Amino acid sequence: MDFAETLKLALSAIWAHKLRSFLTLLGMIIGVTAFMVVLSILQGFNVYVDEKIAGIGSNSFTVRRFSFDDFKDTDTIAAAQRRNKELSFDELDFLREHAQLIDKIGAKSGGGPVEIKRDNESLQDVSVSGVEPVIAQIEKTDIADGRFFSETENNNSMRVVFVGMDVANKLFPQGDALGGEITIRGIPYKIIGIQTAKGTVFGQPQDSFVQLPLKTYGLAFGGLTRGRAPYFEASARSDKVFKDAVEEARTLMRIKRKLDFGEKDNFGILTPDAISGLKDSIFGTTFIVILLVPTIALVVGAIVIMNIMLVAVTERTREIGIRKSLGAREADILKQFLYESATLATIGGIIGLILAKLIGFIVTSFLLPTVIPWYAAVIAIGVCAIVGIVAGLYPAWKAARLDPIEALRAE
Amino acid sequence: MYRFMENENGEPGATSNGAQSSGKTLISMHNIWKTYQMGVEELHALRDVSFQVEKGEYLAIIGPSGSGKSTLMNLIGCLDSPTKGEYWINGNLVSDMTDDELARIRNKEIGFVFQTFNLLARATALHNVELPLIYAGMRAGERNEKAQAALASVELGDRVTHKPNELSGGQRQRVAIARALVNHPSILLADEPTGALDSKTSVEIMALFEKLHAEGNTIIVVTHEHDVAARAHRILTIRDGQIEKDEKIR
Ligand SMILES: Nc1ncnc2c1ncn2[C@@H]1O[C@H](COP(=O)(O)OP(=O)(O)OP(=O)(O)O)[C@@H](O)[C@H]1O
Ligand SMILES: [Mg+2]
Repeated sequence: MDFAETLKLALSAIWAHKLRSFLTLLGMIIGVTAFMVVLSILQGFNVYVDEKIAGIGSNSFTVRRFSFDDFKDTDTIAAAQRRNKELSFDELDFLREHAQLIDKIGAKSGGGPVEIKRDNESLQDVSVSGVEPVIAQIEKTDIADGRFFSETENNNSMRVVFVGMDVANKLFPQGDALGGEITIRGIPYKIIGIQTAKGTVFGQPQDSFVQLPLKTYGLAFGGLTRGRAPYFEASARSDKVFKDAVEEARTLMRIKRKLDFGEKDNFGILTPDAISGLKDSIFGTTFIVILLVPTIALVVGAIVIMNIMLVAVTERTREIGIRKSLGAREADILKQFLYESATLATIGGIIGLILAKLIGFIVTSFLLPTVIPWYAAVIAIGVCAIVGIVAGLYPAWKAARLDPIEALRAE
Repeated sequence: MYRFMENENGEPGATSNGAQSSGKTLISMHNIWKTYQMGVEELHALRDVSFQVEKGEYLAIIGPSGSGKSTLMNLIGCLDSPTKGEYWINGNLVSDMTDDELARIRNKEIGFVFQTFNLLARATALHNVELPLIYAGMRAGERNEKAQAALASVELGDRVTHKPNELSGGQRQRVAIARALVNHPSILLADEPTGALDSKTSVEIMALFEKLHAEGNTIIVVTHEHDVAARAHRILTIRDGQIEKDEKIR
């Protein structure tokens, strides 16, 4: 008996008991759906983070006062607080002057939540930061409307701002944000540009921010020191020299800070690698824990399939006897029932996948983007088929081993 | 795959029996016992049965109910195995065969018509007849053609898409016969083929058997109807699991 023949047989047997087949598959369907939904959310988040990194520029990095390692425990934090000095514009100029491998470098500051107003309207918890104009090029900022501020506007501390879509929409519901005026701590600013909407991730609005020219920000908020000390963002000349550019920046910082050989860095350099490493460490464990539940559902699904296949074999003992009396070999009967359970489980997998996709659409529109990678779909279907085969193994073996004459005598 | 060999060494000498036999021994039973263990008691369905059937014979097996006729048929059809004794089919010892070889014999060499039809209830007449061809590994097109032809030969060419429960008893029996014949087996075994039929249909079925016999098929029929047995060329009478009489009548 060939593949198509056996498959047809399996499908007709499943179709003959539609409701029972469906109920049998519930566990399987729930398992696969849960599995795929979780996966699609995690994957969506991953893609988001990767895009974020790509948005900053996959070949860009930041120089900060502290490194990740400094936050290991209270001791290291305390030590770093003592050793690590704030970054200064001297250091920025030094880097700008001497670095060969850095394409662009600029300073940023702030980012804390601040209340902003327009006339009597106000908006809480808006992230307000000061940035140098070059940052827009390093971060590859998408501009929906207007423009980013210029060097001249920065150097003259002009009161212009670049805002996120939420700020524009909420304070200017009529859509006349560009050219409009907002006030921060009593000082009015003119909106000259609006960023393309980025949506929400885990309830975190990505479009609720205001960027001021760095110097304007320094003047308005009381100097670029302490909590408002600058940090640098830089891009390498190319992806190829990225690592060298990071090393070069580190070396230049050490020279500028006159660190001895063997002395620890008293600043931090954050690369996209470090971010994705952090992402992996957070999601690696979550992933395993969250996937455990669907796995249990799959195991339960497999047991249910095995049970129903045992019932099917008992029910169809006579059919098996007839087939054997007509020349079916053990292998033929074995294949027949294995195909049936594998097909059954695969159908469960496909239904689960479709459900997961539908739930994914809903999650995407309310929470965050979801992605089902094609290989995960293929693997899920494959795993279902394997689960089906494993679950069907014992029942199929029982069927194949039936004595023809005893099977024929069955009622 | 298992190959049939003509009378090989070790196969006991063939005896000539039956008017139209070709002289080649097809079936050879030697001191066959079939014993069922019923608790502490042993029930001998067959005791020390020995006989031969030649290619091309038309044999009827008669005997009272419970005498062991069906048990014997199942043994001949390689569906069951004897408790004791040797069964040679076409020169090969059945007890030496693997499961796959037995399956091949059932598929290629034997056409079984069961008393209770034994059709697949969910399948059409055509699919039921196709089954032996499916297990013979025949491709769909050829298979379909042959099954159609087999159904036509039992005058059911217009009922191919009917399921068993959409057919009369006689029609079902004819589907079972078409199925038994479709793969051109060397032996046709029929256990009470007319038991469930009215006399008119019985006559039709018996006429069909006669035609098949005339075409050179070996036929073994179990029956308790004397007019059915009378059409055979040889009658084997069984009583209490033993051969009581073995007579040529033609
Ligand atoms: N599976 C079995 N277990 C125990 N005893 C059995 C079994 N099959 C048959 N027998 C016994 O073997 C004997 C012969 O049975 P068999 O079916 O061969 O009779 P038969 O000649 O075909 O009868 P009938 O004409 O009624 O069909 C009977 O006594 C029956 O009870
Ligand atoms: Mg009987």
